Amino acid sequence: MRSDVLIIGGGIQGCATAYQLALRGVSVTVLEKDWVSRHASGVNAGGVRLLGRHLSEVELSKASMALWPDLDDELDADTGFSCRSLINIAADETDMEILHGRQQQMHQRGLHHEVIIDQKELRERLPHVADFCVGGVVSETDGYAIPYKTTLAFRNAAARQGARFVEGVTATGIRKVGDSWLVSSEDAEFEGEYLINCAGAWADKIAVMIGDNVPLSYSAPMLMITTRMPHFATPVVGAVSRPLSFKQFENGTVLIGGGAKGFADRDANRTRLDYAKLAGGAKNAIDFFPIMKSASINRMWAGLEAYMPDNLPVIGKAVNADKAFHVFGFSAHGFQMGPIVGQVMADLVTEGSSSFDLQAFRIDRFERKVL
Amino acid sequence: MQTSFDIAIIGAGPAGMSAAITAAETGASVVVLDDKPKAGGQIYRNVADSPLQDPNLLGEDYLQGKALLERFENSPVERIQGATVWHLGDNGEVLFSKDQQTCSLTARELMLSCGAMERPFPIPGWHLPGVMSAGSAQVMLKSDALVMDGAIFAGTGPLLYLIVAQYLRLGVKVKALVDTTSKSGYIQAASHFGGALSGLPMIQKGLTLLAEIKRAGVPVYRFAESLSVQGEEKVTALQFNCGKQQHLLETEHLFLHQGVIPNLNMTRSLGLEHRWCEQQLCWKPDLNEWGQSSIDSISVAGDCSGIVGADGSQMMGKMVALNQLYRLGLIDREQRDQQAVSSRKQLSRLNSFRRFIDTLYRPIDQHRIPSQADTVICRCEEQNLEQLQQGFAQGARGPNELKGLTRCGMGPCQGRQCGHTVSELLAQWRGERVEEVGYYRLRSPMRLLNLTELSRFNRISAANPPEKKVLAGERR
Repeated sequence: MRSDVLIIGGGIQGCATAYQLALRGVSVTVLEKDWVSRHASGVNAGGVRLLGRHLSEVELSKASMALWPDLDDELDADTGFSCRSLINIAADETDMEILHGRQQQMHQRGLHHEVIIDQKELRERLPHVADFCVGGVVSETDGYAIPYKTTLAFRNAAARQGARFVEGVTATGIRKVGDSWLVSSEDAEFEGEYLINCAGAWADKIAVMIGDNVPLSYSAPMLMITTRMPHFATPVVGAVSRPLSFKQFENGTVLIGGGAKGFADRDANRTRLDYAKLAGGAKNAIDFFPIMKSASINRMWAGLEAYMPDNLPVIGKAVNADKAFHVFGFSAHGFQMGPIVGQVMADLVTEGSSSFDLQAFRIDRFERKVL
Repeated sequence: MQTSFDIAIIGAGPAGMSAAITAAETGASVVVLDDKPKAGGQIYRNVADSPLQDPNLLGEDYLQGKALLERFENSPVERIQGATVWHLGDNGEVLFSKDQQTCSLTARELMLSCGAMERPFPIPGWHLPGVMSAGSAQVMLKSDALVMDGAIFAGTGPLLYLIVAQYLRLGVKVKALVDTTSKSGYIQAASHFGGALSGLPMIQKGLTLLAEIKRAGVPVYRFAESLSVQGEEKVTALQFNCGKQQHLLETEHLFLHQGVIPNLNMTRSLGLEHRWCEQQLCWKPDLNEWGQSSIDSISVAGDCSGIVGADGSQMMGKMVALNQLYRLGLIDREQRDQQAVSSRKQLSRLNSFRRFIDTLYRPIDQHRIPSQADTVICRCEEQNLEQLQQGFAQGARGPNELKGLTRCGMGPCQGRQCGHTVSELLAQWRGERVEEVGYYRLRSPMRLLNLTELSRFNRISAANPPEKKVLAGERR
């Protein structure tokens, strides 16, 4: 069966792209080797974050943030999105200096969504924060959503528009014959005019089959969640220079992240946790919020995530093939960008270009010109 | 204390104790970690220091455990009681909490003997306060000499009769026994009678218990179906049908029981292969004839391998230990095979009797697979049947997807209370076999873990366990 577009990878980028294309009347087939939202898209921390974005990501992230509040209506589903604000805490004056430096850069570009707050305001917003914390920076639009629900919401909305999802199918071979991309699996072949690689931690393999090399690595960022606690934190919390990240959900459970990585075995679809590193995360959480001392950890886990050397994603056209695109390598901060990335990809396919500057996300940005 | 061992055994019930004795006899270095203050497991809980004036009332089978316990306590084994194992690695790493501290050790071979748990009884109202499991009635009795007067006991299985009889011997009033053992159970079981003959003394025991209950004047309702617990804030009554007759018995205390299933959280967190057992209606780790799992260095014995009972556990513990000794090079193949002969024989005899029990006391479908929309499935996250059906309709076809969508199984019990129900429900909805549906993907920590305790853990200093124990014997 032939579709206009074949998408490889049923994570949030693949599902959002499928949705946007289907909306425009394009026929889409999504091939997923496990099941939709099985990996990073389904088990990440759910952060919907504009704060602290790399400068080349800010415009995309801002545009995506504008979509989040209406996403439930748009997709006719419950993504669990909650706008809570996000505060990155400054632990000392050095952190404050870093914040002021960043603010200068942002203001020069006319960006004013990150606002520095002093110690007094920090305590008003986070009454349980430790005494040593001197201030921070806040982005009011930020919050969280439930990753599995969000990804599934895109998938279901896409399916309602006619997109086809084929799960449990691994792409083992990719060829271009005439005007067609032919993607074969163990017992089937799929055909499309366009091909989009949204394969996350496996995207380098797909890229190679398309004809593009990419220095992707993969890892297993770890998370832990507590049992229900009395409500003590409304904003989502991060730290300027320490690996701390947590959010308290409406039901009282607290999700603790911070980017510590476990070990990934991507061929076996498995991750292994590094408990000593998780212990470090536990210590940070308690240091910043002493109320966490008595918390009970209910679950710990990790997802398989793709990283690029500069922690920026690949978004754009393939270099060595026509009518092929790449969207992957979000380096543990792609969830928030899902909604806008879908639009960008649909633009690239149907219009041939995007209104966003995608220079920083080229797949060949690591190619060395001269040896 | 040393921090690396030949064999680490998790759980000091009949399987764990007997494995430890066998392994230590041959000179292996053995550590046994158990989460209770005293060894003995559920079955022999507090057998050496019962709070009851006359522990004989608990029955002969219970007291039998004393001898095993004594042998265990006299063998040259490192015993760590009160240790909550919260992580096992496929590399032989064991992380456990003791006295609010995380400790670690490693072993060449792991043996899991973490026992059974009671099968969930997901009927309308089973989550109400005042409803407990018959097993918890036994725990209260064995460890604190606590009883509930005027309670109803409902369900099926030998343990149910046993606890009622134990109550009666202690002079506690029992309001009724509502027996859900089905007629078809009796009919099917009759066809297994050949197997049962070998366990005739055990059948005798069951019959004696039932006769004892009837003699004491406790109303016994047989072939009960469609159980439903009544009450708003707490249980007020139990409703059920016997044939066409509907009954409503008022009570403030209801004990439910419909058999036991393996305690899966450790074997699942380790990622061992499991298969669905139609005879026992439960998941079991996939094991070879020596209890070895899909990871060679990890073996499973006793009820957490599939329900084999206390005696069967003891046999299995010994066999697993012999195989691990062989793997460690401490005995040769011939010694292993020869020393296992009598245990294997007894185990196979017990297993044919087990088939009879499993068939007779098979919990009926309607008490395992709920059909009423408001029946709670996941007690931790308060998810009922209707909410799960909605999740399924939204596209969550497997247990993990359903968990992601509805939070069913995400709470502190890690799916112990809903996992089997969810597997069976999804199989029904998908029209497929339970085997194809699968189970939750579980993770460490296997038990709730205090954040402060974890924050103090680091690999280097955590190698010092909290207390030094004097070994009872020589170590090689």
